[in-house]
Order: sequence, then structure tokens, then C-alpha cells
Amino acid sequence: MTTQEILSNVFCSFMGTVGFAIMYNVPSKYYFGCGVTGMAGWIMFLIVNAQNYITSAVASFFGAFVVVLMSRILSVRMKCPITIFLISGIFPLVPGVGIYNTVYYIVTNQLTQAALKGIESFKIAFAIVMGIVIVVSIPRHVFHKVYYWFAAGKD
Amino acid sequence: MEIEKIEDEKRTETETSTQSDSNVKQVVDFALEAGRILLKNGGEIFRVEETITRICQHFGVEHVDIFTLSHGIFVSAENEKGDVYTRVKHIPLSGAHLGIVAEVNELSRQIAEGKVTISEAKEYLEEIDRIPPSRARAQVLGAGVGAACFGYLMGATLTESLVTFFIGCFVYLWVLLAKRFHLSKIIINIFGGIIITLCAIFTRQIFPSVLLRLDGMIIGAIMPLIPGMAFTNAIRDIADSDFLSGTVRMMDALMVFVYIAVGVGIVLITYNNITGGFIL
Repeated sequence: MTTQEILSNVFCSFMGTVGFAIMYNVPSKYYFGCGVTGMAGWIMFLIVNAQNYITSAVASFFGAFVVVLMSRILSVRMKCPITIFLISGIFPLVPGVGIYNTVYYIVTNQLTQAALKGIESFKIAFAIVMGIVIVVSIPRHVFHKVYYWFAAGKD
Repeated sequence: MEIEKIEDEKRTETETSTQSDSNVKQVVDFALEAGRILLKNGGEIFRVEETITRICQHFGVEHVDIFTLSHGIFVSAENEKGDVYTRVKHIPLSGAHLGIVAEVNELSRQIAEGKVTISEAKEYLEEIDRIPPSRARAQVLGAGVGAACFGYLMGATLTESLVTFFIGCFVYLWVLLAKRFHLSKIIINIFGGIIITLCAIFTRQIFPSVLLRLDGMIIGAIMPLIPGMAFTNAIRDIADSDFLSGTVRMMDALMVFVYIAVGVGIVLITYNNITGGFIL
């Protein structure tokens, strides 16, 4: 991967997420947080996806893991519901294009392709569910403790 | 003397009971309204139930049962004497306004800290419900930027992304316009797909010398139509084991994909038949 590719991926995932945050009427003070969340998830996805023998579902799992972790930390820091960062940030990982392709192949009667894409999209969706479940099951006070520990360390 | 005293006691008793009755009613109505606003604007089931419970318990309604679906809330509360007050509210599946979700969350946090009375909270909630969506211009630009950037991430070239930006803006303009006239989701998305594909084909016809793949442009441009929020909320409800609501929302999202694909498919198949058919 060249530097230019890395930079363009960072830029596009950040701007894309912010664009969708605007569409979903997120208040403007959270735009930066949304962008960073989306960017972190996508970079994690790319890093894992570049390894050999790893499917995009596993990569999506790690991406979703980072997104939810970031969202929880940011929601403690900015005192707002996690939904704001999670919905915008997970957008790059959601298999929207995969599902669209599945349905498109069904509409145009290319059924083998449809099955292929459909099962892949289902796997990705399930991987995202797993990523969310694992991070959400960490109790709330752990995040508060970790966050305030870091905040105290900085001062 | 004795009788008067007994009557007095009776009167105070009935007064307190009517007071607590109206109190239960007032609190449950308010909590239900907060839940309705949350659910309508894209809160997840877990958050709706937590907010209603928190509000009820803070304002002294101890026994409250809630059953929340993706498009309805059932609340049943009980006072000390065992009288039950029940409300059902139907909430059609609709739009997304995360700003309102954040505001309601903030209000419920303040209530839990005991900073606001119920009448203040009611006024505040009405204000929240009236918050308008972001400016249409900003939303259209956001849709364009999102479409272009995600198109690029999904493997479009730079020139294709540039075209996608304009198509994305245009298609979101259509969505906003259609929403103003309360057109149904089916029409919005099928015509959205048709508009996207037509725009992509026209651009390729106008600039025949530039290498533009239809695939690259279309995949980016459908991004503003994709129900990312419904899909993510469905996944989150399933992760919380709210399978019923999760399934309903997932179905809602999947149907939108079908509509988009039908719209795109109609135009592409017609185009391929007219131009002598190369399969994309």
C-alpha cells in the first residue's frame, strides 16, 4: 500500500462518515468524533483485511470492535448517547453494497452470484453483531474508571 | 365530633388518592411521550425502556412494566392501592434525527439528577420535539460527500467519485422533495434507483472519452439511499436479544434494498437491451 492510498483512505473514511452524520442530523459539535470513529474502524478493517487467510467477515469483526470501543469512550467523554457515534461510525463497515449486490443479482437472475454475495453479507452482519456484543457487555463503570484514570494522568 | 373527624379523614384520603392517581397518569404520559420521541427518531429498544423506567421511578411511580416493539410502546403502571393505568402508543417506523435522541437523553439524565420538575420537563420535551432537521443544503452536500467518499472506499476511481458526488447530491434532493410530499418509501427508493442509473448512463454518454464504469458510479451513488440507520439499529436490537424488533427493522431495511435494486435493475436491463446488451 502506498502512502497516497493510505492518506486517501484516511481522508475518505473521515469525510464520508461526517457526511452521513450530517444526513442523520447529528449536532455539529459531534462531527469530529463521528469522523474519527468511522476512520478508526475502517483503518482497522483495512489492516486486518490485508493479512493472508483472513476473510472480510473477520476483518469486519475487528473493525466493528474498534468502532464500538471508540464510541463508548467518546460517549463517556462527551456525555451523550453512544448511538450518535456508533451509527455514523459503523456505516463504512455495514455491508450495504453487499446486500444491494445480492438483491441486484436476484433481480437480474444471476442466482449463483446472489447466493455468494448474500452469504458473505450475512457473515459480515453477524461479525458486526459479535463485535457490538463483546464491547457492550463490558460494564459501564470500567469505561468511566479508565477514562478518568487517563484524564487524571494528563493533568 | 367523632363523625366529623372520620369524614375529615375520609376526605383527605380521597384527596391524596386522586392526587396520586393524577400523578401516576401524568408521569406515565410524560414518560411515554419521551419514549415515543426516542423511538421515532432512531433510539434503540434498550434506550427507550431504560428512559421510561428512569423517568417513572424518579417521579415516584414504582411499579411499571414496559413492552417495547420497533413500532409501539405498551406501558402499565400501578399505584400503591393497586389501581392500574395502561397506555398503548403506536409509532410508525420513520426518520432519523440523532440530535433529538441526544437531547432526550440529556433531559433524562437531568431528571435522574433531580434538577427539573415534571412540568418543566414537559415543556422542555415539547421544545425538543419541535427541533427542525438540519438545513436541507447541508444535508444534500453531506449526502454527496458521503456518496463520493464511500464510493471511493468501495473501489471507484477518482473521476468516478467526482461524478458520484453530483449524483449523490441530486438523488438526495429527490429524497427530500419526495418526503415533503409524503410519498411512500417504495416510490422514493425505486425512483431513486432509476434516477441514479439514468444519471450514470447520461454522464457516460456525455463524456465518452473518459473511462467511467457504471458499476463504480452506481455503488457510490446508492449510499445516501441505503438504510444504514435501520440496519445498524436492527443489528443492535438483535445484539440486545430484542429479536422481534430487530427482525422488523431488518425487514424494513431489506425491503429498501429490494426497491433500490429494482429501480437500478429496470434501467440497466432496458439500457442493455437497447444498446445490444453487454452484461455488466
